[in-house]
Amino acid sequence: MLRRDFLKSSALGAAGLTLAGPGLITSALGAAKPVRLTILHTNDMHSRIDPFPVGAAQWADEGGMARRAALVARIRQEQPNVLLLDAGDIWQGTPYFNFFGGELEYKLMSQMQYDAATLGNHDFDNGLQGLEKQLPNAQFPFLIANYDFSQTPLKGRFQPYKVFEKQGVRIGVFGVGIEMAGLISDRNYGATKYLDPIAVAREQVQHLRGAEKCDLVICLSHLGYKYESAKVDDHKLAAGAPGIDLIIGGHTHTFLDTPTVVEGPQGHRTLVNQVGWSGIKLGRIDYVFDRATGRKGVAMAESLSINASALS
Amino acid sequence: MSRFRFRGAALALLLAATAACQRGALQPTAQLTNTAQPMTAAQPADPKVEAVVAPYRLKVKQQMDEVIGHAPEAIRKNPGESPLANFAGDIQRERAARELGQGIDLGVMTNGGLRAELPAGNITTGSIFELMPFENELVVLDAPASVVQQLFNFAAPIHMAVSGATYTATPDGKPTDIRIGKEPFDPAKDRTYSIAISDYLASGGDKLEFFRPLPPRHTNVLLRTAFSDYVRQLTKEGKPVTAKAEGRVHF
Repeated sequence: MLRRDFLKSSALGAAGLTLAGPGLITSALGAAKPVRLTILHTNDMHSRIDPFPVGAAQWADEGGMARRAALVARIRQEQPNVLLLDAGDIWQGTPYFNFFGGELEYKLMSQMQYDAATLGNHDFDNGLQGLEKQLPNAQFPFLIANYDFSQTPLKGRFQPYKVFEKQGVRIGVFGVGIEMAGLISDRNYGATKYLDPIAVAREQVQHLRGAEKCDLVICLSHLGYKYESAKVDDHKLAAGAPGIDLIIGGHTHTFLDTPTVVEGPQGHRTLVNQVGWSGIKLGRIDYVFDRATGRKGVAMAESLSINASALS
Repeated sequence: MSRFRFRGAALALLLAATAACQRGALQPTAQLTNTAQPMTAAQPADPKVEAVVAPYRLKVKQQMDEVIGHAPEAIRKNPGESPLANFAGDIQRERAARELGQGIDLGVMTNGGLRAELPAGNITTGSIFELMPFENELVVLDAPASVVQQLFNFAAPIHMAVSGATYTATPDGKPTDIRIGKEPFDPAKDRTYSIAISDYLASGGDKLEFFRPLPPRHTNVLLRTAFSDYVRQLTKEGKPVTAKAEGRVHF
């Protein structure tokens, strides 16, 4: 069942490329000018529409979606290519969710032009029906490759991945979710099937790197940053499914000052970033795309001084 | 405004491409300047987003401020038998009985599961949200006598009360003279006892591990809804909201 959805999405992606792709690619390569891409991201926003109360014991007056919207809008003005992504648990945590069932969260995310999100466990808190009810308020796709909804009323409502194209650069984004059993009430996920995220991620990477010819592969993960146990996490995902450039993580509410670099078995390096929860921070990673040198297997890290003018 | 945006040295990573995973024509370099940008009052809010939020915020405030009852005295929680846990456990038992159309033997709520006390004076919807911010559902467990014994073994050392029962805690923290609905409890008896409890505690939360194997029966009623409905009902009948520790645990 999932296989069929997968193929359908691929076909759509290919059609989109035929219509819009080649001209852009040619002009970008012809000019040989580096292409800039800014990834902005959130995770575990937990219905934190307003900033934490001024008198709160922790995070007083931090966060707030209207502030985030203003910052995102400014970055969009400064940068030519921006993707705004979320790694799940949009819902649950303030009365806005209790009273309006997630309607406002999706509307505001649409207003600030989120490009994609994945599903966290709390996004099932009102069951599959509650999720279905709010989907029309989300003007962005939910990407989830390892949940099989084919036996549920939400069949066909999500896609495993989406390819974005910015000035000829192809960015493949896919999503993976955490195991539902024991975490989400059975009746809230119904007949949704959980598939091994590492096996699914391998397929996704192969497809995005192969048929979809992506220059950058991003995974939106709600697995969690790192567990001491055997439970799958972003570190195990990075090592187990080599070829992901960036994992935007969630679930564990981990604040990272700088992304973690995970070295894969074949020398591939994956960045893992996560920005806590509740929209207290906005994640940002800037990429510059140069024409490939042709060298393969190069892994190098360097420090350089950089200031605002160098980035804008 | 840009003070936190691009500071000092930044790390750039030239990401590796390998033969095993072919890259496209373009090679990305990551610039990791300020990868977790703080969202504080230094960042002005977008007025267009504020305008969308405003009517929702007003509705939330109006609903949270709605007075649904009155408590002559604060309903407090404390170690041991607490007025607040009695309040919760009794409501759970009563509501579950109504939902399932049968008598319910026991109601269980731990002090840890209740997040705030109810204030003296007006009780608002907001007070109930503070008491129970989680979306916990009221469920019923059918527990064999052996599990009920484990419940009292858990309760006795901390003098925790169980709605629908009384018992005596010995100085070394053992339960004796357990009575359920005034009937003496016999752990060897072959019967089950119905327990009204939150789905969180039923799944082993707050160290109530012994409940975990029991399949819950759903009421589809949130605990918070059960509490606020109860307070509204009292108000409708012209009654104040009260609860007390009344000697359910002897020691």
